[in-house]
Amino acid sequence: MKITRRSFLKISGATAAGTVMGGLGFDFSPVESYAQELRIKGAKETTTVCCYCSVGCGIIVHTDAKGKVINTEGDPDHPTSEGALCAKGMSLYQLINNKDRLTKVLYRAPNSTKWEEKSWDWALTEMAKRIKKSRDASFTEKNDKGQVVNRTNGIAGIGSCHVNNEEGWLYQKFLRALGLVYIEMEARL
Amino acid sequence: MAEGKSFFVDTTKCTACRGCQVACKQWNQRPGEKTYNQGSHQNPPDLSSNTWKVVRFSEAVGEKLNWYFFPDQCRHCVSPPCKDVAEGKAKGAVIQDDKTGAVIFNPKVKIKAEDFKEVKESCPYNIPRISGAGVMAKCTMCFDRIKEGLLPACVKACPTGTMHFGDRKAMLEMANKRLAEVKGVYKNATLTDPDDVRVIFLLIDDPKKYHKTAVAENTIGITRKMALKRILKPLKDFQWIG
Amino acid sequence: MTNSWTDIGVSDCILIMGSNAAENHPVAMKWVLRAQEKGGKIISVDPRFTRTSAKADIYAPMRSGGDIAFLGGMIKYILDKDIFFKDYVIHYTNAPFIVSDKFDFKDGLFTGYNPEKRAYDKATWVFDRDDKGIPVKDMTLQHPRCVFQLMKKFYARYDLDTVSSLTGTSKADLIKVYETFAATGKPDKVGTMLYAMGWTQHTTGTQIVRVASMIQMLLGNVGMAGGGVNALRGESNVQGITDQALLFHILPGYMPAVNAAFDNLEKYNATTPKAVDPMSVNWWANRPKYIASLLKSFYGENGTKENDFGYSWLPKIDVGQNASWLFMFDKMFNGDFSGFVCMGMNPACSGPNSEKTRKAMAKLDWLVDIDLFENETSSFWKGPGMDPKKIKTEVFLLPAAMSIEKEGSITDSGRVGQWRNKAGEPLGDSKADGQIVHELYTKVKELYAKEGGAFPDPILKLKWDYAKDGKVDFHAVAKEINGYFTEDIAEHPIDKKAYKKGTQVPNFVFLLADGRTSCGNWLYSGSYPEAGNMMARRNRTPVASCNIFPQWGWAWPLNRRIIYNRASVDLNGNPWDPKRAVIKWDGTRWVGDVPDNAVPPMGLPNGRYPFIMRPDGVGSFFGVGMADGPFPEHYEPLECPIEKNPLSSQRINPAIPLFKGELDKYTTCDPKFPFVATTYRLTEHWQTGLMTRYQPWLVEAEPQMYVELSLELAKLRGIKNGERITIASPRGKMWAKAMVTNRIKPFNIAGQTVHLVGLSWHYGWLVPKDGGDSANILTPSIGDANTMIPEYKVFLVNILKEERPKVEKKPEPKPAPKAEAKPAPKPEAKPEPKPAPKAETKK
Repeated sequence: MKITRRSFLKISGATAAGTVMGGLGFDFSPVESYAQELRIKGAKETTTVCCYCSVGCGIIVHTDAKGKVINTEGDPDHPTSEGALCAKGMSLYQLINNKDRLTKVLYRAPNSTKWEEKSWDWALTEMAKRIKKSRDASFTEKNDKGQVVNRTNGIAGIGSCHVNNEEGWLYQKFLRALGLVYIEMEARL
Repeated sequence: MAEGKSFFVDTTKCTACRGCQVACKQWNQRPGEKTYNQGSHQNPPDLSSNTWKVVRFSEAVGEKLNWYFFPDQCRHCVSPPCKDVAEGKAKGAVIQDDKTGAVIFNPKVKIKAEDFKEVKESCPYNIPRISGAGVMAKCTMCFDRIKEGLLPACVKACPTGTMHFGDRKAMLEMANKRLAEVKGVYKNATLTDPDDVRVIFLLIDDPKKYHKTAVAENTIGITRKMALKRILKPLKDFQWIG
Repeated sequence: MTNSWTDIGVSDCILIMGSNAAENHPVAMKWVLRAQEKGGKIISVDPRFTRTSAKADIYAPMRSGGDIAFLGGMIKYILDKDIFFKDYVIHYTNAPFIVSDKFDFKDGLFTGYNPEKRAYDKATWVFDRDDKGIPVKDMTLQHPRCVFQLMKKFYARYDLDTVSSLTGTSKADLIKVYETFAATGKPDKVGTMLYAMGWTQHTTGTQIVRVASMIQMLLGNVGMAGGGVNALRGESNVQGITDQALLFHILPGYMPAVNAAFDNLEKYNATTPKAVDPMSVNWWANRPKYIASLLKSFYGENGTKENDFGYSWLPKIDVGQNASWLFMFDKMFNGDFSGFVCMGMNPACSGPNSEKTRKAMAKLDWLVDIDLFENETSSFWKGPGMDPKKIKTEVFLLPAAMSIEKEGSITDSGRVGQWRNKAGEPLGDSKADGQIVHELYTKVKELYAKEGGAFPDPILKLKWDYAKDGKVDFHAVAKEINGYFTEDIAEHPIDKKAYKKGTQVPNFVFLLADGRTSCGNWLYSGSYPEAGNMMARRNRTPVASCNIFPQWGWAWPLNRRIIYNRASVDLNGNPWDPKRAVIKWDGTRWVGDVPDNAVPPMGLPNGRYPFIMRPDGVGSFFGVGMADGPFPEHYEPLECPIEKNPLSSQRINPAIPLFKGELDKYTTCDPKFPFVATTYRLTEHWQTGLMTRYQPWLVEAEPQMYVELSLELAKLRGIKNGERITIASPRGKMWAKAMVTNRIKPFNIAGQTVHLVGLSWHYGWLVPKDGGDSANILTPSIGDANTMIPEYKVFLVNILKEERPKVEKKPEPKPAPKAEAKPAPKPEAKPEPKPAPKAETKK
């Protein structure tokens, strides 16, 4: 029998009610001292799609009552991946719970040798000023031939195939509203 | 013992994606080890107290170049020699589940270094490892998962149909059916020690080309195969135990 | 991909070339191996014997850069044996079209070449047309100037001896591959091609994909389940973000970018593709509806008929301006940009010629980098060879939330949009990229509203109403992309029904050119209609015959899973292969997959040609839109090991632009750099490694930069397996671990021995500390003639024993000679019980 997530849920529920042990043919006696509670029992399940290659494998994220991610594994209902994951997909857990993730805005001043932690409010204000200064200084209404071009020559923007469609759509709209034409991303590489 | 459970590992399908290797680490929350590239894609170079499953890579030069992948792990022997030996050294350090046949190193029982050496040497497949704290470690058959009817983490992760898990009878049937199919193309195809273990590999070439202990073998004077087959008589040094 | 992942499982033959699917799309191998289990053959063509090759029925080694020769030889084989799919070729392609008598090809050059501009005037690359403008055809394919005969003549030069000498593939292997794949030219057989950057990252990349497509059309494999030409794309949402047009040359939905010659909407619309043949659907004729609706989604009520819906607010490139990656970084290196916004990319490692890229960033005033981790781009100022005190660039490094900490859709390689749910809150101060964009836009807008500035209208008049209480509602954006009616419509011209203002359009068929509809991307119209979010669907009911899952997620366009599927049926709409039916005409309508247009098959009254996106309605053997010729021709890579292209006196692609800056160093046939190098990805890391090099489980499996080389080359250079060596190109030098392997063999190319080495792509100086640096330190800034995708796959290097051995923090054990050739490392040598570092001890 192939165990799908649906049947797993059924099993888990029944286990909680204490009725299924005999049915599954397990008892713990010889290994009772070892046997642990299934660490994802009672965890909340959220479906996602793997963030690496473009196969688009399904992943289930298990979170505990505090919202902490305690496990990630393949989604057996997914028609392409059928619960499977490669080494990268299997490591999603370690991407989520990773001590090296950035948690603060960092700023490096001109000619500085170090990062400084900053607030979002400070960073957004300062970035907006830089963007405006560069845009105003390089905005070109007409090109050498006198044709209307209405573009910002002094800023380039790249990215990103890691973000969602909705985010990418907003990003291109933002960059084009600023007048950028140097807009590129990973598909060019 | 009941029929219990078994794995069937069809290496003809393995692409060495190492989903299983990482799935094992993920589910069992084992840390990554510090490794170096030593001229091989295989890493970690071997099993350890934190690495219970490792995909072995071997190039085999013959008429046709082959690159064999061998997802190594504890075989969960039907009659585990490690258990027999450990019983005389650290009682309860190795336990076997009656229903599934899972052979489990109990993390709550410590073992002395010299005793561990004997346990390790009794294993026909060179699986047992020990942590700095004196606790033995290896594949648990994902006992916490299988008792809930879930597949072991490595089997569930496998994308290619290499790893299978289920009732022993069904796995043996699947293994024999696949062996028959493969035999047509690869005359040297074999199943590894199918009568003795619960993790049965299908190989298409000399098992030595996959890994030294892909099948039970001789290491310490007596053959590992013998150790596996033999009904161990109580040895002198643990006779005093009940 | 023309097809889906799952229908690969019904294929008879899978040619994996320019892709290493087992390592880079591991779960896709599920479907490849299922096809094999049912008797399908796997062919792997690769310079190296890879994990894909290990599962293949046929492995053929080929020199990197030999693809067009290899595949051109297959065209010759198919035509010589007369085993092409005749009905398909005659009716569904431009094979019968007569080409102008002004067109010619001589010694590697097509007519119209301008050597100063390194570009073609394509005026002669045209078809003879009748007085209505319809192409003249010879359905017998006998006319000497018909595309079929020209193609036959063109590839007659690609005989087995020539191809074998160019590719280094043995004639026996060539024949085996040709025979096996060409066997799918029968109506009831189907073969698929899986490719990736192994094809695109060449100066001839686009033409490699074209020659492959030509084979697939000759064999009638396009449109079929288990067939097609399938680009296995590299990133989870590279398909989606390409669709959303984060590229200089397109607008969302593949509409061309606006340029200076089109100073109003009417002029832009005048370039809409036109069909003269009434049998051609020419779907692009609808483009004016899509651009008007896109502009409405940009400027909302500020875009009116009177102001061309805000058309003039869009930035315009100059005519002929190329703003692609290599040009962007060339300009940056020349100090032309003061600011740079980088979202989720790592150009310091991913761009070619890293030194140029990294030094270019030092010319910026400011850099905004949005990422999950600190990376080699954000921190370029403290990288190797940099003196932070001399670098003025300000850097803002913004913490991004990861995929499970936000919601939204991504589009897989099979064009299927799937919705990702939010499982947890962003870590620390991190925010979703889209949220960061929103907050940054809001700040910039405030500033312009307050202070004014250069041409503020495009910023101030932008429609931007996606946030509630400052938080972006990604469903609102998804609905914007799908599109909606901007006015009440009493009777829609399509279905005569009434639609209310503000309701979602059912799909792009309902879009209008008069401003009454808004749509952020016409291709995605239908993904979020009134019925709800189609991308979140999780029903796995298949269409069994072709193994597709039409109710799982949503595929563009219109939820079509196999595009060009009207080519999978005969002229009357019956499947060429009934057991693998994709669609079928039941007398009144199509059943099966969503058809590539609802019009009847071309043999029936009111029928239409199958290739609806082509103005002529058929597939192109003769490609008039290409920069470098209507037929794919072999040219050597920019850096190649042989003096002369055996096929012509054009050594390299005549239509590629060359950069001539101080750091743009190239060489060829250079004894200082005698070996061919190629770069590639592997399973355990991803792209520049930013999302894998921080994960101990993955670093454990592939810890360090390495170079794979043959036993022969190792012997030649006295290199031992596992030792650190130096690898150098004209652009730079770096260390790598030597991986001496049987899986690479020297090639015999045009009578000389050519050694090839392979480099993994994923490392960077920042993390892990002893992991090595990016292979792009070595690669040249040169791109494909059509796409400008860099030639990462072939360049020249030298390898030597390490010049100045560095001591790693923990001294490494002595490497085992040729660990892999032996069955395995020797665990017995490892004294236990001892902690982990001892795992390194090997004899």
